Amino acid sequence: MSTAANHPVVFASPGAGAAVQAQSARIPWYIWTGVLAITSSSIGGAWDVSWHRSIGRDTFWTPAHMAIQACGVLAGIICVWLIAQATLGHDSKLKAASVNVFGLRAPLGIFLAGWGCVAVLTSAPFDNWWHNAYGLDVKIVSPPHALLILGLRGISIGVMFLILAAMNRAAEKDEVTFKRLQALLLYVGGLAVVGQMFFVQESTWDVKLHQAAAYIAVGIGLPFFFALFSQASRSRWAATTTATVYTVFVIAEILILPLFPAHPKLGPVYNMVTHMVPAKFPILILVPAVALDLLWQRVKNWKMWQIALLSGVVFIAVLTAVEWPFANFLLSDASKNRFFGTDYFQYNSPADGFDRLRKWFDPEHGIVLYAGLLRATVYASISTWIGLLFGRWMRGVQR
Amino acid sequence: MKRWLALLFTIALTLPAYAHIGSKDVFEEVNAGQYKLFVTIRPPNVIPGVAAIEVRSSGAPVRSISITPTPLTGEGSKHPPTSDAMKVSTADPAFFTGSLWLMASGSWQVHFDIDGSAGTVSASVPVDAVPLSVLHMGHSLGILLALLGILLVVGIAGIVAAAVGQSRLNPGMAPGPGQRRRALAASAVTLAVTLLIVYGGYKWWNAEAIAYAGDIYQPLSLSPILRGNTLDLKIGRYDDGEHAFKTHSNDDLLPDHGHVMHLYAIRQPGMDAVFHLHPAVASDKRLRMTLPSMPPGTYRLYGDIVHANGFPETLTADLIVPPDMPPAPLSSEDASAAPPALSQGELGTTYKLPDGYTMVWDRPQELSAHTAYAFRFRLLGSGGQPAADTRPYLGMAGHAAFVKTDGTVFAHTHPEGSASMQAMMLANGGSGEMADAGSMSGMDMSTQPIAPVVEFPYGFPSPGRYRIFIQMKHANTVETGVFDAEVR
Repeated sequence: MSTAANHPVVFASPGAGAAVQAQSARIPWYIWTGVLAITSSSIGGAWDVSWHRSIGRDTFWTPAHMAIQACGVLAGIICVWLIAQATLGHDSKLKAASVNVFGLRAPLGIFLAGWGCVAVLTSAPFDNWWHNAYGLDVKIVSPPHALLILGLRGISIGVMFLILAAMNRAAEKDEVTFKRLQALLLYVGGLAVVGQMFFVQESTWDVKLHQAAAYIAVGIGLPFFFALFSQASRSRWAATTTATVYTVFVIAEILILPLFPAHPKLGPVYNMVTHMVPAKFPILILVPAVALDLLWQRVKNWKMWQIALLSGVVFIAVLTAVEWPFANFLLSDASKNRFFGTDYFQYNSPADGFDRLRKWFDPEHGIVLYAGLLRATVYASISTWIGLLFGRWMRGVQR
Repeated sequence: MKRWLALLFTIALTLPAYAHIGSKDVFEEVNAGQYKLFVTIRPPNVIPGVAAIEVRSSGAPVRSISITPTPLTGEGSKHPPTSDAMKVSTADPAFFTGSLWLMASGSWQVHFDIDGSAGTVSASVPVDAVPLSVLHMGHSLGILLALLGILLVVGIAGIVAAAVGQSRLNPGMAPGPGQRRRALAASAVTLAVTLLIVYGGYKWWNAEAIAYAGDIYQPLSLSPILRGNTLDLKIGRYDDGEHAFKTHSNDDLLPDHGHVMHLYAIRQPGMDAVFHLHPAVASDKRLRMTLPSMPPGTYRLYGDIVHANGFPETLTADLIVPPDMPPAPLSSEDASAAPPALSQGELGTTYKLPDGYTMVWDRPQELSAHTAYAFRFRLLGSGGQPAADTRPYLGMAGHAAFVKTDGTVFAHTHPEGSASMQAMMLANGGSGEMADAGSMSGMDMSTQPIAPVVEFPYGFPSPGRYRIFIQMKHANTVETGVFDAEVR
């Protein structure tokens, strides 16, 4: 079998002895555009949540919505262009590095991103009708929103595969290009971690950090991403890098958003907001990410299930060890400052609510807590195993 | 049960002002200091939704108006959001428009801060936010979404096939038979999983739609029983499961203008006999009255009631009056009219009353739907002069009922506007009980004549033919003028 699929190596570094190094590594414009598209939707998503927590009322044309829609537009442009080039054009290299879907040719990532664009496009009239039929958004999770989120994820995964295939092709022959593509893949991976943590933010609200549910929520999703990017990117510090992107992204949000004035436009207003309300301080996933990277560098020869099992234990143990006491700090007066931002509350946050009172929401102790953390560990191990498996498969992607 | 709970919830949250049928918009004349505003609030059909607001100023010049929505009562009413400035029309500086989000079912108010030559003044107008309908998806949108959906389902199966069969081949290589087989299998599995997900989405959508439909406002049922000329009215609800009628207690009804129910009986299909009647509370959970002599036929009944928590409703039913119903006189506070049937053509702007008086409608040249009007009616004596002996009827200069001839619209309104008096009092710092005290029939004891002119702010909700019934009183006679309106 002469495919590039048979990579037995786990956690290897790239072709250090690459014979040929391109003098001028070039990243195609469509990869940059794809990365820009995902950046735009990530910023738009964070901005939109802040908009709803600060102003409350929105229209189709808010800047946050525009940023999200720009993602679809940019991704749509590269999809149409690349499908046209690979299907109808004369670029033999591009044709050779593409897959065929129903007679159309393009790199696999382009089809995934294109699928995401169609999903986003479909969600727009669906969502509009939904508002007219059942009322304006009260719930974030509605069928049209689920389709929109699925579409945006599709675009994100598509761009990731676009980078990945180019990176894998460069792995053995062009280290400069490989390194740049690897950096881009980890950046996009970091934004995927941002998205994943965004998805579990209701369970990881700071006043809920003394519940096992927070650790279960993070344990289910996050080790998958860390293991996947570690395998797919071939970087020794993949988990650390993607966790850093998440941490920097959220801290930047806390530092930047409150600079802009905002006034609530929906009542009742229990907290008179004057500026945009940012996200809560990032969960300290950076620490377990470093621990996982260090672990994975040392267990290269272990069986995959052994690595997964230990990774789950390490991830939850380290996360709990750092986040639990840190949550005490987040609920103390010491964190009420411009950096940790624990005195920013949304407009409809009641004065006697857990958030405003900085009180633990239903904290857990004893057997309930330990059983919960054990469950989180099991989930984290399974999550890691799936991530390792899929990440290893991704290392073979060439087109 | 769920619907019951939804209704109870709606009623509990909703204080006054949802009477009328098919006529949700609020038209109100607001006198705030020296400012005179004609306010139109068009609530959405779905909640949460956007209410459109229009204001025409006709008093002291207004520079700016800002609007704020809050719940009418409760904790939420004390925490308003920042206000929105209404837009001034470039063509007409006295016309302002704006829109506001109504986020939950219940009684809301729109607070107006008016600034102009007479200083800054505030006023509030109540508006009800109740979900009224579920929008069904149009064919073209349905087909478009279905096609896009099929593209997504088939597309993902094709993409997974390419991922499994081709994506890991070195550039330029063609997939072998093994890869093709695996691709096909992966594609089939993906298709099956995706169809399962679509099915899950369909179930989810259905659950959301059913939950929403359960919140749609539904008035109580009205069940008339006629024995001889005694009409019993049971108020309640049909239990969907058993089709059993559950009687609603009449303890819950609040007198409005001195009566627990204002019952309009309009003979169908010609609308050629109309009665404004007032059944009283009977001991056995029913309302009861002796019907006056009525021409036989099928009557459409529209019963306006107000619940103890201030929530008003219009209940409807059909009543068959037999030819041999025993005769009885019309009570002194009741009213009737026998206009020509609809089939005999459109009535004009002058209506000859049985005692020689005349009622005149100063009808606008054009009548169009969704437009706010202040419809003016005048009562003239037998010599054509303004009636000098005009008196309030049930505490008001007049009562009006706007009824669409196809039965889809019924609105019983008063001279201030279409919002209830109780709601206006609550919105402007009073209490519903005070409003009711002022609306007792004792007000009719006034011996002072009033101007023989009455104005009703109203806008027709849809094009079509309407019949308008106006009640005014002179001396001891309650007159009912009848007019037709062809609305475009």
